Amino acid sequence: MSTLVEILTAADEEIRNRSLEGFARRASAETLLRECAALDRLRRESENLYEQVRALFFLYSIHRFHLPGKVGIAARGVIPFRGFEDLLHRRFHEAIETFLHHQSQGGPNEALSSGLAAAYRQLGFQTLSDQVRRSVRSIAGNQWMFRVGHPSDHPLRVRKSLLRPLESGIFPLLRETTPVRMDLTHSGWSDIFFLGMDFPEGARVLNVSIDLRVDGAGQAQSRGPRPPVEGYFRIIDRPILRLVSVDLQASAEITTFAEVFDFARDHLGLLKAALIAAGIVPPGMEGAHQPLSDLLTQLVGAGQGIELVSKVNDIPKGSRLAVSTSLLACLITVSMRATGQVRLLTGGLSEEERRLVAARAILGEWLGGSGGGWQDSGGIWPGIKLIEGRLSSEGDPEFGVSRGRLLPSHHLLGSDEISEETRQALQASLVLVHGGMAQDVGPILEMVTEKYLLRCEREWVGRQRAIGTLDEILGYLKAGDVRAIGGATERNFRGPIQTIIPWAGNLYTDRLIEQARAAFGEHFWGFWMLGGMSGGGMGFLFDPRYKAAAKVRMQEIMDATKGRMEDSVPFAMQPVVYDFAINERGTWAELHGPPSGTTRRPDGATGLMPADYYRLTVPETLRQDPWLLTPAQRAELEIFGAASGGDPALVDVLPSLLQRMMPQKQEEDSQDSLSAMLAANAFDREQHEQIRGDLRSGRIGLAQNRLPTRSLIEDVSPEEVVDATAGLPDRLGEIGAAALRGGEAAVVTLAGGAGSRWSQGAGVVKALNPFARLGGSHRSFIETHLAKSRRSGRLCGMPLPHIVTTSYLTHGAMAETLGEEDECGYSGPLLLSPGRSIGLRMVPMVRDLRFAWEETPRQVLDVQAEKVQESLHGALINWARTEGEGSDYEDNLPDQCIHPVGHWYEVPNLLRNGVLRGLLAERPQLQYLMMHNIDTVGAHVDPGLLGLHISSGAAMTAEVIHRRLEDRGGGLARIEGMVRLVEGLALPREEIEFRLTYYNTNTFWIHIDNLLETLGLARADLGDGRVVAEALGRMAARMPTYVTLKEVKKRWGRGQEDIFPVTQFEKLWGDMTALPEMDCRYVVVPRVRGQQLKEVAQLDGWLRDGSAAYVEGLCDWPD
Amino acid sequence: MEITKAVITAARRTQRSLPLQTIIDSDGVEKSVLRVLVEEVIDAGVDEICVIVYPGDEAAYAATVGEHAGRLQFVQQAEQLGYAHAVYCAREFVGGDSFLHLVGDHLYVRPNGGRCAARVVEAARAHNCSVSAVQATRETLLPYFGAVGGHRLAGQTGLYQVETVVEKPTPTEAEQRLVASGLRAGHYLCFFGIHVLTATVMEILDGLLSATDAEGADGRPGAGLYLSAALNLLARREQYLALEQRGMRLDIGVKYGLLTAQIALALNGQDRDEMLTRLLELLMARSMQEGEEPI
Repeated sequence: MSTLVEILTAADEEIRNRSLEGFARRASAETLLRECAALDRLRRESENLYEQVRALFFLYSIHRFHLPGKVGIAARGVIPFRGFEDLLHRRFHEAIETFLHHQSQGGPNEALSSGLAAAYRQLGFQTLSDQVRRSVRSIAGNQWMFRVGHPSDHPLRVRKSLLRPLESGIFPLLRETTPVRMDLTHSGWSDIFFLGMDFPEGARVLNVSIDLRVDGAGQAQSRGPRPPVEGYFRIIDRPILRLVSVDLQASAEITTFAEVFDFARDHLGLLKAALIAAGIVPPGMEGAHQPLSDLLTQLVGAGQGIELVSKVNDIPKGSRLAVSTSLLACLITVSMRATGQVRLLTGGLSEEERRLVAARAILGEWLGGSGGGWQDSGGIWPGIKLIEGRLSSEGDPEFGVSRGRLLPSHHLLGSDEISEETRQALQASLVLVHGGMAQDVGPILEMVTEKYLLRCEREWVGRQRAIGTLDEILGYLKAGDVRAIGGATERNFRGPIQTIIPWAGNLYTDRLIEQARAAFGEHFWGFWMLGGMSGGGMGFLFDPRYKAAAKVRMQEIMDATKGRMEDSVPFAMQPVVYDFAINERGTWAELHGPPSGTTRRPDGATGLMPADYYRLTVPETLRQDPWLLTPAQRAELEIFGAASGGDPALVDVLPSLLQRMMPQKQEEDSQDSLSAMLAANAFDREQHEQIRGDLRSGRIGLAQNRLPTRSLIEDVSPEEVVDATAGLPDRLGEIGAAALRGGEAAVVTLAGGAGSRWSQGAGVVKALNPFARLGGSHRSFIETHLAKSRRSGRLCGMPLPHIVTTSYLTHGAMAETLGEEDECGYSGPLLLSPGRSIGLRMVPMVRDLRFAWEETPRQVLDVQAEKVQESLHGALINWARTEGEGSDYEDNLPDQCIHPVGHWYEVPNLLRNGVLRGLLAERPQLQYLMMHNIDTVGAHVDPGLLGLHISSGAAMTAEVIHRRLEDRGGGLARIEGMVRLVEGLALPREEIEFRLTYYNTNTFWIHIDNLLETLGLARADLGDGRVVAEALGRMAARMPTYVTLKEVKKRWGRGQEDIFPVTQFEKLWGDMTALPEMDCRYVVVPRVRGQQLKEVAQLDGWLRDGSAAYVEGLCDWPD
Repeated sequence: MEITKAVITAARRTQRSLPLQTIIDSDGVEKSVLRVLVEEVIDAGVDEICVIVYPGDEAAYAATVGEHAGRLQFVQQAEQLGYAHAVYCAREFVGGDSFLHLVGDHLYVRPNGGRCAARVVEAARAHNCSVSAVQATRETLLPYFGAVGGHRLAGQTGLYQVETVVEKPTPTEAEQRLVASGLRAGHYLCFFGIHVLTATVMEILDGLLSATDAEGADGRPGAGLYLSAALNLLARREQYLALEQRGMRLDIGVKYGLLTAQIALALNGQDRDEMLTRLLELLMARSMQEGEEPI
């Protein structure tokens, strides 16, 4: 029997928890392939969900980490396009079949393994999320919603007490307030559904419901902490669904079923998901063609409708306090109360009801395409509770499928277990903050799941320790020892959490902790990470005597640290310090309006919505003809008008309404600074208008980037490249080393871009981003490149000149950082080459958006996520039309509106800005440049490769690597008989790329004089700006211009972000290889050298497959 | 168990005229609705009948039941305090005895003739406990009925041990608490409108009515209380069964209710052919007017 199948199917827990790594490291390729065949059989035949899923992840891991590099596995291979297409369309089974078929025909190779790894991994996650969905649907109390398909069949009715208008003419208002949850223990992300359902024993968290107040917020907030989320439900006298998000400043009046299920159309997706999950519009009605008013007639009577309003009390996005899940749960609860699905209209919930709401919140998250952990709706429960996974037993829908249940159990810890004094002490010492960092926790949750299923050795030990931490903290809570809690949470952060996921920590957080400790010494009791990763919501525990001072100091520390780091780390908002209090009653509802039992809201008049609601809706109401207003609208305006004079909560609404109805000033300011920026960067308006004209007329565009379809594009043969993957002859190394000793070489690092994929358009300087811990510290890309140059300089005994190219986006920050940090301790010549060209982004053509989304192969998402995506695309196409296709994109911060124009310009910039001339004056012997991208972290001045380039006598040598699945965007090809690099944008058909064995790393060795000759220049000409400019202009005209779509983030509100596609253009250096007069050679380098880090999600694999260790081995750190 | 008494509730102010409506019964004879109900009761072997009425309706009701008038006793529900209270008004009439209970705005039809109430009484006598007639009902109709949850009695056809009773449950609650074995997905056992109840119900109602503040449609406290609340407690106190009925319960208080009831009675009685012929004639006449081919 196969060893790995034995591990997966063992009844003995100890065997079952064995890791794959130990076995796979020692096994030969042949053994591993045999094991793969057995695992593939197991994943097809086993009926047990987790055996299937673990088999899939084992297969992924073997193909991703263990087979590549083993003797007998070829590095060179071709990925069948059909398999790739299957992957894009989520036909994972077919993709696996295709790849396996090719493997059996042509033998195993790394290219096929990369395809298999991707297919097995995605199938693993797909299988898991399908199971979560099935379980949510099959929970008793949720099933009926999937059966009801016709409005006349709707079995819910809104309670009668809400249906009658009050004497004043408005309808009673049901208001739900819900605390958010804080995770006190962070048991290694054990609340991820996939973990809890397989390892319920390890799925445990201590979860506290809290009220919040942002410290120092306006006077209206001066009352103290309150529940952060609120939901309002009331009847309106129009047959529509009216949704209002007070915090996101969005409202919509919905009249069709299709709109309810259109999640990304506006910012009301969460409210729609709540309506659906609460059963008001059951999921079974998706696609119903009847008017929505038919459904409303059933629910609330003819001519009436429902209004649902959400409000978040100043808590920013990314607080790691599960604000959006809490808001979803709050809205679901208020809707379930109104329809009698919760017994009491007002007050709290029973335990059974809380569990049902939690299950509905999971359903809502799935519908909205997001998904948190199972503790996220903890705010519905009161106080402090222990949430634990439960083994599934007979009668549970999960029984026989997974070991654990989907929903955990909640044990409320009463004052007999954790005393009042301890609760007070905890509140008196904890400073809760939002550090301001923008974060995408999604990849982290996937990494956690993957490592758990693989039982990765270090991580599994870390997990066991994290589980122990919970008992330790619980013990301290029971004993009332808050100081010890601080120690335990910080040990947990430094130990188990970062052992499981190194990326949970970051330089920003480390600096905050360091400064807190320096400022408060022993009175700082410890750091506490909330949620998925640090940098956003965090806790700092202090001696209660110092808490007041600590709150002030932490704000200062965070502001200053953010100020220093905001160019290198994506921040979504200014850091804030909260006031918080434990909420001991959980979610709670009050009815406002009816004469009996009327409760006057402390912050508003009876029966009225919160003040911000009127700021948002009154202007719109006032713009209507008065005679179109319904009686209830009229009555509400009347009451609002009367109340706004005297009610302190409403008193400042009227003045702000005027401002709102006549905005603009701010926009003008922003326009001014954009114009200034364009002027400062010598923006070429004439060229811009030319490009716009070409774009609008269809002469350029995404489709026009491509070479003619009849072009003959072939793969190159191995003889046309030099293979350096197994090393180069010593002779070449000696030539290269001699050149280095003689000071003939320099490095050029391309760092003009913002790395839009790295931070999803957040606009930070990628070069400065501290991306990983190397040599014991967090290191940025530029530090890493300089450390490699430092080592090269040391080894050859001659400091290596290092040029870093910059652009308007990066120059200031780079100059400042390199100056501040003593040029990162770099002793050789370190030069910045500022960019000289910028472009102004444009609103994309609908034609190009459709081309990108509909005609080019793209990854199809999970069913629900795909629906959300489609709806978003519809909204963005609409946005492009309304803004004006091809018009200037100016509705953002100025530096988000302009763009660098591609790395082709970087070498010309070196010539134009005098940097190369200066260096040549200093080192006339300089002859060779190694130019590479900022994210090619493995590239260094390798003497062998330099020797190869020198001995070839070529103008340029380009480095390529063997293609794997993730290497998209062109490669090395023979086009019409000429070997050259080709951009993915230029390939007439997608499948051509898959025939190309080699991928372009964008690392080039350049012979300076030969290049100058190609440009029609000589060294002596470099002093004459006009001659240089003319020569470069001639060359630029020969280079193709590519139109591309980029994503930019627009930040607004409190940490909210929207992503827009914008059009820009670029010219790329690889096209120089197409010049017949340019003598170019190609060398295949090892993957660890040539691969690029484009996305944060790649980091974990990069660390695990030995690439990080390889880079560390190339570096000399200044410390 | 001896069952000699019956309680018919007909005091709802808005539906006072319903029992007075005339209808052709399945035997082809024209009768008032109340008389049909009274005959249902008599056929079940029950003689003493108490009708809960709106004050002043007694004479009109007595006049519509012909020779059965002598068996009727009228009790007034002076204040509109809801259904549970209406049943409770009969407490003195019931005394310590078990009783048959029907609602005045429903008629019942069994597919093969025979009376529905008689089956319920028979089951109550046989098992010596309270029995409510129920019918498997689609979840979309839950807003109109009380529903029971329980398990099937072993070796008995159509009999369930009642564990929970909920008035007009939401489907959410129904799925969690009212699942009964042997029913199709999304179907629940909903009340048919016929019950045999022990006098314990009156005791329970007594307690509930004095404690509750459930608000009725007119805003009065107590008026929102349904009989189901009492039956839910009854299920915890003593043996309480539900008998699945195959017949039809016809609510004459809804739109076209009386007409539908009339058609159903006719189709299940001696005038079946005549009713069918008339319905067909109506359909044909309509088709021909619209220029369609005759059926």
